[in-house]
Amino acid sequence: MTKFSILLSVFGISVSLWSEKLEAASVDKSVIRVNTTMQSYNLVQPWEKGASSTRIGLGAVLPEGKVLVTAQMVTDATYIELEKPDTAAKTTAQVITVDYEANLALLKPINDNDFLSDRVPFELDTNLSPKDKVEAWQFEASGTPVTTQITVSKAEVRQSFIDTARFLQIQANGPVQYRSGSFTLPVAKNNKLAGLLISYSSKDQISNILPASIIEHFLKDSEDGKYTGFPNLGIMYSQTLDEQFRNYLKLDQENGGVFVSKVIEGASAAAASIKSGDVILSINGKGIDSRGNYNDPVWGKLSFSHLVRGKAFTGDSMKIKILREGQKKEVDLKLIRRPAEDYLIDPYMFDRGPKFSIIGGLVFQELSVPFLKLFGNDWQSRAPIKLLMAHANPEMYEKEGRRKLVILTRTIPTPATLGYERLSTLIVTKINGIPINDIHDVDKAASMPANGQHRIEFDSYPKLIFLDAVLAGRVNAALEQRIGITKRLK
Amino acid sequence: MKSSIFSFIITILAWELATAEDKNEKENTNQANNSSRYEAVVRIENSSLNPDYRSPWNTGRDSGGNGTGWLVGENKFLTNAHVVSNSRIIYIKKVGDAKPYRAKIVHIAHDCDLAMLELEDPSAFEGVSPFDIGKLPQLDTTVKVIGYPIGGERISITSGVVSRIDFLSYSHTSVDLHLTIQIDAAINPGNSGGPVIQNGKVVGVAFQGYSGNVAQNTGYMIPTPVIRRFLKDVEDGNYDHYVDLSMSDFPLINPAQRKALGLANDGIGIMVAAAEEDGSAGGILKTGDVLLAIDGRPVKSNGLINYEGEDVNMNEIVERKFAGDVIKLKIWRQNKSIDTKVTLKRFLPYLIAAKKYDEKPRYIMFSGLVFQPLDRNLMAAHGMKNLQVRYHFDSYVSADIYKDRPEVIVLTSILPDSINSYFSNFKHSIVDEVNGVKVKTLKDVHDALAKDNGDYIIISLLGNGRPIVIERAKVESAQKRIQEKYNVIKDYYLGD
Repeated sequence: MTKFSILLSVFGISVSLWSEKLEAASVDKSVIRVNTTMQSYNLVQPWEKGASSTRIGLGAVLPEGKVLVTAQMVTDATYIELEKPDTAAKTTAQVITVDYEANLALLKPINDNDFLSDRVPFELDTNLSPKDKVEAWQFEASGTPVTTQITVSKAEVRQSFIDTARFLQIQANGPVQYRSGSFTLPVAKNNKLAGLLISYSSKDQISNILPASIIEHFLKDSEDGKYTGFPNLGIMYSQTLDEQFRNYLKLDQENGGVFVSKVIEGASAAAASIKSGDVILSINGKGIDSRGNYNDPVWGKLSFSHLVRGKAFTGDSMKIKILREGQKKEVDLKLIRRPAEDYLIDPYMFDRGPKFSIIGGLVFQELSVPFLKLFGNDWQSRAPIKLLMAHANPEMYEKEGRRKLVILTRTIPTPATLGYERLSTLIVTKINGIPINDIHDVDKAASMPANGQHRIEFDSYPKLIFLDAVLAGRVNAALEQRIGITKRLK
Repeated sequence: MKSSIFSFIITILAWELATAEDKNEKENTNQANNSSRYEAVVRIENSSLNPDYRSPWNTGRDSGGNGTGWLVGENKFLTNAHVVSNSRIIYIKKVGDAKPYRAKIVHIAHDCDLAMLELEDPSAFEGVSPFDIGKLPQLDTTVKVIGYPIGGERISITSGVVSRIDFLSYSHTSVDLHLTIQIDAAINPGNSGGPVIQNGKVVGVAFQGYSGNVAQNTGYMIPTPVIRRFLKDVEDGNYDHYVDLSMSDFPLINPAQRKALGLANDGIGIMVAAAEEDGSAGGILKTGDVLLAIDGRPVKSNGLINYEGEDVNMNEIVERKFAGDVIKLKIWRQNKSIDTKVTLKRFLPYLIAAKKYDEKPRYIMFSGLVFQPLDRNLMAAHGMKNLQVRYHFDSYVSADIYKDRPEVIVLTSILPDSINSYFSNFKHSIVDEVNGVKVKTLKDVHDALAKDNGDYIIISLLGNGRPIVIERAKVESAQKRIQEKYNVIKDYYLGD
């Protein structure tokens, strides 16, 4: 997204807000019930979907007939319905923009463009501060509005929905009773949208709120119809509290700084030649302390990642002051975003089936974090060690030219796989002589058996197996009859 | 997706001190006379000192237990290695004689769980004739187990039939597999090391069974081929261990696999998945080779050969050989049959996964950081979950880690002190380099730490870009302070 389009889109929002600014937002006019049916794919048997489930949440009505909900509300959605709480009128909606990392999604009615014309869209209030009183807006099952006042306490950069994506979140204190199984609630301050309540602990009476500043960032990005996503630096860092370490790095006492312990290829920091071993002292003039926090004028100490994620857009430039080998340097860094789908191992996978390809009963898939999570809550200790190593050190495989890590996830017992039934979770290196760098390579190689045999090579025991190509073809035809499809490449 | 491998718990049958014996031993000469035909079967009492891998500078934990042994030759007693492991003092007791006789280990073979003891003063056994060693018993023939199991003080005899002959894991090290005979006689803790008799001859040594409710009436004994091999190995005064082909194989069941490799569908041949480069077959066998015959005996597609009329694991050939022996292999490579020879040797990298005994743990304690070489004992003692550690342990052989790092050195614990107060996150990391020197052994760590080459000591850890940095000027006083505070008598032990 270019600077130019940002300006345009800001302009666009303000015009539309102004034109609709006849009435203040209210519970019954600005909040809408969202019912979704979701059905995720079965990663063990990737040709089928699991059981469906439903989720009910409350969306915030925005200008231009859009509705804002959390991304969690619409993951793997097969059917989305908007329902007016007062009249119970319903219409079918679709997702127009979704960001699973930020945990935000925009919905719009599919056909009935005027469905929301009798509603009052929210304005955003991005100026939350500690001790603010805000209201969680919801309904009784009858449609009667309920507002609950809670008090903002602090802000923190933390994980919202995806393990690896950390965003600013606001904490508020006070009891909130969930009505009608709501999963997401709009939070208002002076009748403006201050955020979305995404989780609530009844034990501590603490609500976590995705603040309007992140929502605003998401809306600006989606204005031009081409959603880019939040930028990231692409580094791993450690604190510099240890005095011995600070002396070694020649860090003086006034400066804090974080030590760059790893730079992820293809992301912003790598593109700006930031190296492992550098110390980041400040970003855009904001000093970073030795714990990795900057001093936010409103919230106090916040993780410096908010300066990148929450305050800047992909394409923006940042001035980064670093210390390299004892020398201070300033680096101009252009923020880019390495999209999730470009990672060797997909960190998440929604709204699409897992890619797979079957040859004669051998099921090949691209390794993903959701696949690793099949090994249970303690997957980080239970999943096969080799796969966990690949997850922790993708560069080991990326430098071999792999785009994805293709594994034999399981073996369906068939006449073609006789003797191979126990093979599973093996990393595939070659099929019919072709290096396997993603699932498309499997599909390509599957059409090129030599001497009537498929030759499949793994990086570990048993290293090498063969399938009869004619038999495998017959098995695939039979499987197609039985399970519908034998590959999904997109 | 859960692993469906059902793991059995095999218990070793030495009676731990926890179920301690009643010390009021009674003497009854009449009964002793009745038992005199069993006087070649002895009770062995072992006081052990088990090393403490968590505080390796300590002497260890006193423990003990008892088992059974038997006279195999003049002043030569055979028992299980696990009966006399980590031994400090051993006493042998004779049937009908309350006096304990001091014994010592002559040979101990952990890899096949056998040990030979001798008495300091053998006079008490003058005139007692040793047992003869018999052959492999047939299935469904009766055997007697003699020993001193749990349930009483006196000698006990049970009997049963030979149920199965198999190639199984010996739980003493847990990495060694040998010929094993399953019998349905009751074998209980304390029976370990005792003779299993048929027609007056020893046909096995009772050594392990299943614990708990996993299986009933399954006892295991070490059969005579393993016993004979041990006795032959120690003839020269040294135990030289088992040798290994050091390869993994894959059954050739799939017709396409056979066809692709150019084999007839005759059920002969097993595929070589990998041969360890530094092992016996390294450089001789390659992935995709097919092993057709070993020492002239055809290898079936499931890895079995016919030996003395029984289908046994092809490794049974290697099992009976010694270091330096040569075996003949017929292999199939690129549609050609090749005859080749392999000189057998041990493959030490496998030992990383073995339970070890009679070894003093090696370590370095530097500035409160404790460094130790990775092995199974260390994994068990520290319960390490770190992914890099688990990977190095698990893939030490399969990923050829042993070539790059003969020893994987782990920062196992930290004795808190002001010099290391920010280091707690580094616990259970693998040491990559010390002051720029790549660490391949514990000694490398010691040498690199000792060398004064600058104001800072830099310890880089695998998978972590943030090194440990220690100011050299602070080390000396810290080391003294920590040794005193934590009672670390000696700050390193690198081995003998």
